[in-house]
Amino acid sequence: MKQKAGWPAIVFLAPALIVYTAFSAWPLLATLRLGLYATDDAGHVAFAGLANFHKLLFDEHWWGAFRNAMVNNVEFFAIHTLVQNPVALLLAALLSLRGVRGAPAYRTVLFLPTLLSVVIIGFAWQLILSPLWGVTEKLMGLVGLADHFGPWLGQEDTALPTIALISVWQFVGVPLMLIYAALIAIPEEVVEAAQVEGAGPWRIFWRIRLPLILPTLGLVNILTFVGNFNAFDLVYAVKGALAGPNFASDLLGTLFYRTFFGYQSEVGSATMGAALATLMFFVILAGVGLYFFVIQRRLQRVAG
Amino acid sequence: MSTVRLSHVSKSYGNNPVLHDIDLEIADGELVVLVGPSGCGKSTLLRMICGLEPITAGELRIDDRVVNDLPPAQRGIAMVFQSYALYPHMTVRGNMAFGLQIAGASRADREARILAAAKALHIDHLLDRRPRELSGGQRQRVAIGRAIVRQPKLFLFDEPLSNLDAALRVKTRIELARLHRELAATMVYVTHDQVEAMTLGDRIVVMHEGRIQQAGSPLELYEHPANRFVATFIGSPTINLVPATTQACSAAGIRVEVHAGCVVDAPIDGSALAPGQRVELGIRPEHLSVADGAGADVRECLRFGGEVTLIEQLGESHLVYVRCADGLELVARAPGHTRLRIGDRIGLEAGPKALHVFDAQGQACRRTAAG
Amino acid sequence: MTTPARIGAIGRTALVHLTLGGYCLLVLGPILLVILNSFKTRAGIFDAPLALPTHDTLSVAGYARVLGDAAMGRMFLNSFVVTGLSLALILLLGAMAAWALTEYRFFGNRLLALFLAFGIMVPIRLGSVAILQEMVALDLVNTLTALVLVYIAQGLPLAVMILSEFVAQVPQELKDAARCDGVGEFRIFFQVVLPLIRPAVATVAVFTMVPIWNDLWFPLILAPSEQTQTVTLGVQQFVGQFATDWNAVLAALSLAVLPILVLYAVFSRQLIRGITAGAVK
Repeated sequence: MKQKAGWPAIVFLAPALIVYTAFSAWPLLATLRLGLYATDDAGHVAFAGLANFHKLLFDEHWWGAFRNAMVNNVEFFAIHTLVQNPVALLLAALLSLRGVRGAPAYRTVLFLPTLLSVVIIGFAWQLILSPLWGVTEKLMGLVGLADHFGPWLGQEDTALPTIALISVWQFVGVPLMLIYAALIAIPEEVVEAAQVEGAGPWRIFWRIRLPLILPTLGLVNILTFVGNFNAFDLVYAVKGALAGPNFASDLLGTLFYRTFFGYQSEVGSATMGAALATLMFFVILAGVGLYFFVIQRRLQRVAG
Repeated sequence: MSTVRLSHVSKSYGNNPVLHDIDLEIADGELVVLVGPSGCGKSTLLRMICGLEPITAGELRIDDRVVNDLPPAQRGIAMVFQSYALYPHMTVRGNMAFGLQIAGASRADREARILAAAKALHIDHLLDRRPRELSGGQRQRVAIGRAIVRQPKLFLFDEPLSNLDAALRVKTRIELARLHRELAATMVYVTHDQVEAMTLGDRIVVMHEGRIQQAGSPLELYEHPANRFVATFIGSPTINLVPATTQACSAAGIRVEVHAGCVVDAPIDGSALAPGQRVELGIRPEHLSVADGAGADVRECLRFGGEVTLIEQLGESHLVYVRCADGLELVARAPGHTRLRIGDRIGLEAGPKALHVFDAQGQACRRTAAG
Repeated sequence: MTTPARIGAIGRTALVHLTLGGYCLLVLGPILLVILNSFKTRAGIFDAPLALPTHDTLSVAGYARVLGDAAMGRMFLNSFVVTGLSLALILLLGAMAAWALTEYRFFGNRLLALFLAFGIMVPIRLGSVAILQEMVALDLVNTLTALVLVYIAQGLPLAVMILSEFVAQVPQELKDAARCDGVGEFRIFFQVVLPLIRPAVATVAVFTMVPIWNDLWFPLILAPSEQTQTVTLGVQQFVGQFATDWNAVLAALSLAVLPILVLYAVFSRQLIRGITAGAVK
């Protein structure tokens, strides 16, 4: 039963709202607005309507960079969806089985990479994958695959997938925890009832457990989507702001950074950066909107 | 339908024993109720029969076949869980069909069985609903329906009525009794409510601290409790327990002294007792009558005097709470027309045939033929 | 008694542990590699990267160099201050906001909740251009304050959402009883409600603290100066500068990871309990 609000309610709510509005909500709106302005070479800022967006989408130079980053982001997202989330599902399913000894220890260890900063992750994996240091080559040699080794991080066509897989390694912990929490929320008696009716472990997973965690799986996917389209840190740590080789690992995040901050000889443009951020915002909004209004409702219905 | 036999079954979790040496036989078509206070092991025992808990030692036979290592699905059983455990994401029909699908029943066969069970339980209009749209009573019936359609040899019920409100509980209890008669099925039923046990069970198994205290028909348990625990567990309100001392003991009868001047002969086999031993007398409230002061021979009748502290009026009878001078508190069931008030000094008496005697270990002493 | 059922069960258990254990190796491998090699000499690192530090190769030269560098200490201090302060304020402000939104009826209650929840889905980084401009205007560039303010804004939405779940579970009777006794709203919040949502605090702490400590973006954009560098940014630059000084680099990385590992070890049980208690729904 809710209380009627008096001035205490305002005191409780105000600080959080003020900080959030001032440093998160308003800047976002301001950025959207800034995207409608352009900076000329002299540094003057003037209203320019949709000129920036026009440039981004139709100017050969900008469009090339934007499309490249966008395509990379999609690939990045695809790898996460196809690798990270199924692996998290598998690990969570195994962890949540009754009577797995050492489950707490496993849980603790599996969540570790998520705690590490991209700096150590980036560096550690660069080291491991480095042809000079030879760790990976040696390990692959142990299983007879030494011929397949290559300097993946340095090659145009393998740089992004490799970084994506490193990112998967880092972030499996989050969907793992979410799915795990959802799995153990399934009442034990429901699973037992299925056992008594003759369902084996596979059937129990596919027909009982999985349907009941579909909303969580949906949530995991949308969080992956948002997180991927916001990605920057790992690429920056491993490849620097230029996201080489030859922009093969460029993501919207690194493009955004370069655009508004500038790099090497090119001066940063706050307005172009703002325009790019606006586009990113709409991409994310579209994805989230699609999820909430189409998918999530269906998933809730199936899961009862 | 089938028989169940437990031989020297025990269960421990690691070093922690929870069930000790259980021996029990359940005949074909019987409804056996496992009853006892929380933690007595009744649910554990049920789950062991079901196959959800491993048996540490001993043998479990269903239809003369040792099933200790068989998974639940191969034992020919169906279980109704306390929380009903319906599959939340399936419709009622889906819930009832699940087990049949696994067993490979044809669609026509499935539909027929589901419809028949649903009609019998009056849930045929709910077949397309989801569990969250159903009331507690309806969910319970779906849980029972799910068990029925599989036509198991043995039904197991784990406190199925405990989540229902009082009125619904009584109604459902009657329906379960009817179901038992109609299906003529072997059922094992767990509850902590002794009224449920008494009304439903062909036989009742009273359990306490992992052991069977007594197994028998409801009347047997009521009239001849094997020990103090069973005597206090069965019967509401609880049996009165009065400390006493033996004065003379023989196989034909004993004489006990309750308090100074109050001595009575009871038709109890006292061969295991000696004079001067402390025992406990059990007298059920319904066997204590308000004395009319007609001055009967003190040796024939046990008499107590005290002050009325509370009267609970039930309509057809009253529960009269009396405190005696020496601090002894008794409950008596008096007929509804009795007019008493708090503070009245009254006498309560009980005939020797109504006495239960428990030795110092709490074991009941046998009644002689005359008792 | 090895019945077929038992063998199947043992086989299944083995598979489970193989998978979980195997992945654990994948998780621990790279981390251990870095830490182990940080204790070796350069030669040791290069010649036999997979080997444990032996008598010959054991060396703490890297650590000596890193710890001797005053900059490292300052970076740690910066990270601690920023993370600690942000976390404390996120928890306090977040709990207060969660309480206000769940407990009180007022116009726009649901709208404001939605407004805050929006921040979970939309990354704060998108507004970086304007944030930087704001900080310039407020003269907060290259200050830790800028970082703290931004991180609070970043962490509030999720914190409020998780804390709201827990605040809603506080028994109504407790609040009613306190109000009947004439206890003021502030006291109710600080003395009744706050202690009861402690399990949530650990969950929020871990989910909030880690992204702040590990963040590269905002330190890079708002506070890249030497005085205000956080450990994450500083080590990143360090790695870039001293790419060939392996000992020092590995030592720096190992050190950078330590505080988080320690805090995690302390909080992990609470975290699990918080998550499984329904904090993440």
